[in-house]
Amino acid sequence: MLETVAQAVINGLLIGGIYALVSIGVTLIFGVVKIVNFAQGEFVMIGMYLSFYLATQFGLDPLLSLFVTMPALFAAGVLIQHFLIRRVLGPNDMPQIFLTFALSLLLLNLALMLFTANYRTVHTSYSDAALHFAGLYVPVAKLIAFVVAMALSGALWVFLHTTDLGKAMRAAAQNRDVATLMGINPNRVFAVAFGAALALAGAAGSLLMPFYSAYPFVGQVFVLMAFVAVVLGTLGNVIGALVASLMMGVAESLGIQFVGADSGLIVVFAMLLLTLALKPTGLGGGRVR
Amino acid sequence: MARSSLWKIAALALLVAVTMALPLVVTNAFALDIFIRILLFSLVGVAWNLMGGYAKQLSLGHAAFFGLGAYTSTIMQVDFDISPWIGMVAGGVVAALASLPIGWLCFRLRGPYFTIATIATAQALMLIFLKFRDLAWGAEGTTIPNLGSAPLMLQFETKASYYYVVLGLLALALLITWRIERSWIGYYLVAIGEDEDAAEAVGVNAPRIKRDVYMISAFLTALAGTFYVQYIYFIDPATAFNFNISIEAALVSIVGGIGTLWGPVIGTVLLETTSALLQSWLGSSTGGVQLTVYALMLMAIILWRPAGLMGFVNDIWRRHLRRRPARA
Repeated sequence: MLETVAQAVINGLLIGGIYALVSIGVTLIFGVVKIVNFAQGEFVMIGMYLSFYLATQFGLDPLLSLFVTMPALFAAGVLIQHFLIRRVLGPNDMPQIFLTFALSLLLLNLALMLFTANYRTVHTSYSDAALHFAGLYVPVAKLIAFVVAMALSGALWVFLHTTDLGKAMRAAAQNRDVATLMGINPNRVFAVAFGAALALAGAAGSLLMPFYSAYPFVGQVFVLMAFVAVVLGTLGNVIGALVASLMMGVAESLGIQFVGADSGLIVVFAMLLLTLALKPTGLGGGRVR
Repeated sequence: MARSSLWKIAALALLVAVTMALPLVVTNAFALDIFIRILLFSLVGVAWNLMGGYAKQLSLGHAAFFGLGAYTSTIMQVDFDISPWIGMVAGGVVAALASLPIGWLCFRLRGPYFTIATIATAQALMLIFLKFRDLAWGAEGTTIPNLGSAPLMLQFETKASYYYVVLGLLALALLITWRIERSWIGYYLVAIGEDEDAAEAVGVNAPRIKRDVYMISAFLTALAGTFYVQYIYFIDPATAFNFNISIEAALVSIVGGIGTLWGPVIGTVLLETTSALLQSWLGSSTGGVQLTVYALMLMAIILWRPAGLMGFVNDIWRRHLRRRPARA
């Protein structure tokens, strides 16, 4: 029994690392640019397809394709912020919500047309490998994904807290007007935040590829998790999103273990609705808006 | 001023005459099917617009009420032999009652997080109907027994009859919206949509207004749900709680003109006509294409015409009226 629980917790933590990459992206955009990016999951999907085609066409290992997907999606993020998001920033919610929602709809259905609904997988030498210790089972691909995800999250935290640009981003997140008065160029900061968030989504895609199938709707799974994690954690708080994501991973994994294989989503929704009912401002407090 | 309202009455009379006469002129089943879809999604859009348009509570979970309406009437008909006409009203009541706890949860959040919460509640309802087979046939769904021509059971042999039923429902929804728009509730809703805190500060009881109008919106959406499953003779959770219904409800309103009486209708005419044209050009494999085109239209409207097509029409109308006295 204890072993089963421990195994479920390990599985949950490992996938929770991926959830964290997506959630941190959502929370970074929300914190700095003050919009919710409904299309965040679709960028995970794009990262997966990029890795898939780099692996099948050029024989590039999905983990190494990280060095392609992250810069590519960073560039995409900067462009999207500059040409689309920048035009709808302001006090009105409607255009912001429906612009990123339309983007999500667009990317998802373009993927459906280009790649069809088929599941795509990449088999690597380490896809089936696993470590065994104390009766527990740790798949190598998931362990690598978790470690890299944690390293990237840590790197982002260091970037936000030590570099001038990172500090400017945190300043803009706290008070946009005052930050602008202090000589921070908000458009540049927003572009970097959006780019960094998409680069994390791209990284999540590459890290998933050795053990997860790519299909057009794959991003929806991760973005739902991310939204719940971002509500649960403090909005705009990187550490909060990270911790909440790991919790979500464990809760989902325990749900699958003890309630049933298809109960993962029900656990997620239950957690979201419970959070809304009991602590609508999230565990970190603060007001949504 | 009097002249302008005279024009409006004339235009409305013409519209009524044309929509009433349409099935007499057009007898092609494919064309009638498109007209019925236009009226049906106009109805859903008008219902969404009450909450989403006037009060800017941007829900993407109206499929919850659509599905509850559809399931209530179907369960009553298949298990208890009760006419879907009664089931339709019962479904509306069930949806309106369900909107109370759903609203209690979702209205705690604002802006994008309200939207996410509405998506989650609709998806959760779909999962409940998928998981619990004893409640209502599970994932397989059920076909609705075809009784041939049975007007009392909301079943007809001609598409034209279905057309008139949904036309009547749409007229009801438009009438309710018109009355609300003209009343103090309408002004309160717009005030909440503009700035909820400011509205509360000047004495608008925002939670109560939102709760009441959400109930009306849910009721009207449920009527559409019952009509839809009666029209296609089939129900399953993926049909009744389809996320695309939530999307289309919001989309037609935004494209047509958010917070306007006729916006959702105009938006639906545009979107459904586009979708029908795409279907006839490209054949049946248009799932991805249709939503791709919808997404592009939505982005174009948001970036260049945030007031929607109605805003565009109103601009022209006003320019036209302003020029007129100058000439006289």
